[in-house]
Amino acid sequence: MFKNIDIKNLGSDRLWSRIALVSGIFALLICVLLIANYIQIKKADPVNMKVINSLVERLNQDPTDSKLREEIRSLDLLSRKAYFTTKWQIRTGGYMALLAIGIMVIALQIISYRRRIIPQVPKENDDNTMLFQKKARTWIVGGGSIILATAILFAILATNELKDNLSGKTISQETGSPNSDITAKVNDSVISDTSSLNQTAADTAVSSVDQTAPVVADSKDNFPTFRGPGGNGIATQKNIPVSWNGASGANILWKTSIPLPGFSSPVVWGDKVFVTGANATKREVYGFDRLTGKILWTVAVENVPGTPAQGPKVSSETGYAAPTAATDGVGVYAIFSNGDLIALDMNGKKLWAQNLGAPGNHYGHSSSLMLYKDMLIIQYDQKTSPKLMAISVKTGKLVWSTIRPVKISWASPVIVNTGKRTEIILAAEPYVASYNPTNGQELWKIDCISGEVGPSVAYANGMVFSVNDYSKLAAIKIGAQPSILWENTDYLSDIPSPVATDKYVFLSTSYGLAVCYDAVSGEKYWEKEFGNSVFSSPMIVEGKVYLLDRTGIMHIFKADKEYKSLSDPDLGEKSACTPAFTNGKIYIRGDKNLYCIGK
Amino acid sequence: MDDKKQIKRREFINTGVRIGIGVGLGAIGVVLSTRTLSGKSVWQIDPAKCVQCGKCATSCVLEQSAVKCVHVIEMCGYCDLCGGYLRPETKELNTAAESQLCPTAAIARKFVEEPFFEYHIIEELCIGCGKCVKGCGAFGNGSLQLQVQHKLCVNCNQCAIARVCPSEAFSRVPATAPYLLKGFENKK
Amino acid sequence: MNKNARVAILIIFTSLLVFNIFGIQRFPKPEFESGYSQPETQVPSPRGAIFEYLDLAVFIGCLSLISWLVIKKRSRKGVFWLSIFSLLYFGFYRKGCICPVGSLQNISMALFNPEYSLPITAIAFFVLPLGFTLFFGRTFCAGVCPLGAIQDIFAFRPVSLKSWVQSLLGLIPFIYLGLAVLFAATGTDFIVCRYDPFVGFFRHNASFMMFAIGGILLLISVFIARPYCRFLCPYGVLLNLVSRFSKKHLSIAPSKCISCRLCEDACPFGAIDKPTGAKNKEQSNVLVKRLILYCLITPLLMGVCGWTASKYHESFAKVNFKVRLANEIMLSAKTETAQPALEVTTFRASGKAVEKLYAEAARIVDRFYIGSWFLGGFIGLVFGLTLARFTLVQYRTEYTTNKGTCFSCARCVDYCPVKE
Repeated sequence: MFKNIDIKNLGSDRLWSRIALVSGIFALLICVLLIANYIQIKKADPVNMKVINSLVERLNQDPTDSKLREEIRSLDLLSRKAYFTTKWQIRTGGYMALLAIGIMVIALQIISYRRRIIPQVPKENDDNTMLFQKKARTWIVGGGSIILATAILFAILATNELKDNLSGKTISQETGSPNSDITAKVNDSVISDTSSLNQTAADTAVSSVDQTAPVVADSKDNFPTFRGPGGNGIATQKNIPVSWNGASGANILWKTSIPLPGFSSPVVWGDKVFVTGANATKREVYGFDRLTGKILWTVAVENVPGTPAQGPKVSSETGYAAPTAATDGVGVYAIFSNGDLIALDMNGKKLWAQNLGAPGNHYGHSSSLMLYKDMLIIQYDQKTSPKLMAISVKTGKLVWSTIRPVKISWASPVIVNTGKRTEIILAAEPYVASYNPTNGQELWKIDCISGEVGPSVAYANGMVFSVNDYSKLAAIKIGAQPSILWENTDYLSDIPSPVATDKYVFLSTSYGLAVCYDAVSGEKYWEKEFGNSVFSSPMIVEGKVYLLDRTGIMHIFKADKEYKSLSDPDLGEKSACTPAFTNGKIYIRGDKNLYCIGK
Repeated sequence: MDDKKQIKRREFINTGVRIGIGVGLGAIGVVLSTRTLSGKSVWQIDPAKCVQCGKCATSCVLEQSAVKCVHVIEMCGYCDLCGGYLRPETKELNTAAESQLCPTAAIARKFVEEPFFEYHIIEELCIGCGKCVKGCGAFGNGSLQLQVQHKLCVNCNQCAIARVCPSEAFSRVPATAPYLLKGFENKK
Repeated sequence: MNKNARVAILIIFTSLLVFNIFGIQRFPKPEFESGYSQPETQVPSPRGAIFEYLDLAVFIGCLSLISWLVIKKRSRKGVFWLSIFSLLYFGFYRKGCICPVGSLQNISMALFNPEYSLPITAIAFFVLPLGFTLFFGRTFCAGVCPLGAIQDIFAFRPVSLKSWVQSLLGLIPFIYLGLAVLFAATGTDFIVCRYDPFVGFFRHNASFMMFAIGGILLLISVFIARPYCRFLCPYGVLLNLVSRFSKKHLSIAPSKCISCRLCEDACPFGAIDKPTGAKNKEQSNVLVKRLILYCLITPLLMGVCGWTASKYHESFAKVNFKVRLANEIMLSAKTETAQPALEVTTFRASGKAVEKLYAEAARIVDRFYIGSWFLGGFIGLVFGLTLARFTLVQYRTEYTTNKGTCFSCARCVDYCPVKE
């Protein structure tokens, strides 16, 4: 054949075997180098050099160090050079190795092609098909049974609980997880601390509630109380939408009408959203499905022991269901204008209910429920014996109660950790005061507020900001001897509460003017008139302030010293409630409907 | 005679099985062809889902990752203080190594007029680590976005980055609209 | 923007406010006074869809050509050069994607997930080689598959394996196939693509581990020809089964075999069946008894294997991203102190409902439970049938190619003295 001869004429066998040998050794060498290179890359990733990062950090502390600056620059250049050189080496090395192996294969192929000889007929012709088959059977049976036996052994030892856990999670949460342990422990300590204060507390040891309390797996993504956990107006949730449109339905995940009116705001735990509603005769608590917006259950609050026959007189701007409910994943707790307090489990089953005594309140009771560990913290600044109470969520029994010689107030408690301890901070004429949440002892107070106090306080970085209309905005440096750092009377609020970050205080007046002050100096940075009245309290989420006005327009702006509007989406329905947040979603109660907004 | 019979029977069985397999293959083909894509599809990142974890730089089957940063200049604010260009907490707004965020210096900036700068990505240097994307998204307009560059992508059956992506940002998109950039319309 | 503004931005910048909202024009496009014109964003287009069909055309061309070369021309040289072409085109030029071996996963995913739609080329790449095999034997393996070609050129010193070793190792691809279908059908992973040992060479890129495995397999293939094809390839299982019923097949001798025994050592893959001597015939009643025993054992074996495999379904399921995520979220909820994994924090920040994820994960685990029963049953069936197969003796008087394992490489043809 032509090709046959062609190849035969192409050099000698020795030549080709030498070529094969040389290219083989060359390929091997490159492979070794590539492996060495690979190990080097693994050892020091030049792109994420920790050294440079730490040097830059040092430079930031001392920007004048020009020597350090030079060092960083040369090191950066060096590391980048090293990185790209290694990449180049790998690429080139790869091609070279491929080429060398290719040459080796060609040479070997040529050699084997030319050496191909007519095969010799094997000497013995042992036809041992039977033997082979027998061996194959033996091995398959032997090897197979060993493997199968091992597999079965491990299969018996294997525990398969994933499915149960997963499906268990979807219906009712599993029992005995650490959260409920903590609750139990806290419960004990509270009892021992406060038993001297209140006789009934001892009874809480005998809990009527099932100890196997459900605990939601993802406890960080809840919105348990009015103005977020602790009621300080700050939410930690992420990915909060900034645009929606109630008219077009854009980003409105669901919208469900709420049977009875109320100015209470939604609270969220796990897969449920709760709101309350009431009129002069009926009081109801609603549990919504967080995903679909369907009303899962409605509980009418009736036959509560001690309920006054005659409902209270309330103003239309407060209504019969102004206080926001609270939830801790075990239960939902709601209070109404007639003093009815009810605890329901997550499925709407009544746990306990009681009446706190008809509130003497000419507008209607509006202070929202707060939670501290397993206690409900209730501001009950009424005409007769104004007080702050803590009630066990499990039994509904009083844990402690502290009488406050103050005027009637409508503000909600704010529970914050001020560094060493947790404090309940409340504002009512004539003072802003702090209480120990475990026993209700007064920690400090300072005279700085007057009038019919509506806004709750804001707390940030050791400072409390209190405000009321016809009074003043006061920045209080807290401590054993609290002092007023600055005060201002230019813009005051009678309904929306202030919010604060470490640097700034944001305040909205009820006629719709937002203003930002420096938290420490009190210097006014900006003011912005929105034109519509505001009843809802602003919330700070993801570094943005969410302020809902009465017409339903959400003003979203940066929590910063320069006013920078991010967007002003319109809900298309009037609202006076403070929104609730979970990751990626906002829940807003309009006058008629509950909305869930998300992407 | 017996042998021949046997051979005939075997052939008959063979033919029967062959027809069976053929029909089965045809059925699979026909059934699945009703569910085919209208055209070719390619892998792409949804910038809205991307969390810039940095796995794109290391997980691609290619040594030079097919994921690179794309600068949607139509969205850019031309800031002097660019969150994608400069390290956080940087004091001086210059192009020095200690100020640059990009580990490979793959972002170049050009002075336009006081105080605006034009930024562009040097693609050969970009490794797709997403540091600048994170910086721009957190502080700026989000004009820097990670995208699969289809000049480089070999369109694996199962994308190796998609497998490790924590936010499930990878998906197959039609080849006629191969980019999922925000604020920029695909021409095709 | 004056200096004050710049300082203000600097303060925002340094105050570490981390928010991640998308597409908000915080800083609007400036109005340039210097007549600057904005360049356009450039993005490279992908390889045109037309090339996809070009690939398909080349594929069909190669399949037709190789079948003609094997069946009609009986040319080893032609097969060799075509395999080199396939290696260069489907391997090094097209980077080993998409190949029929991997397409079986697309097919099984599409069969079990009605919402998954696959490209028409994937169907063609899966069905065509099987169709050709049904008529001409495994000609696809001979010269179109780049994975086969790269091993074939390394087969310099093949040693013949004992046929029972070969049969034993030949069971591995069945298990691999079962696993590949299980993971693909549950929408979990494409393990065949992930552990493709040679695609790294085609792309000049792979993890160190995969390069090492590929290199070792190539080294092995010097002595044991085509180790991946024979002892791993899951698509080869299908081709093997289909090829047994092929209409035509490569034969060693073009006409009557003269039993010259020259071809006895010609096949590097041990795919030549020797004639069986009459002397080895076992008593037929022993054979029949054994066959009945194995036939009875097989269903039992399937049940036991199925039960055993079903016990591992959660280990399999944890390969799935969603199941793993759900599991990790569950664990991190229990131990709050530990820093949760990136996936967990990402999921939490995304605002998706954890309950939905749990429900979906539970559904996937369920599918794995059913799937692993089938996997175990399949493995049991394969073992049982293999045992039964080794009971039967086919009576042969000629040297023939084993229709199942023969790759139609046509090496043996050159050894046969019969030319007409």
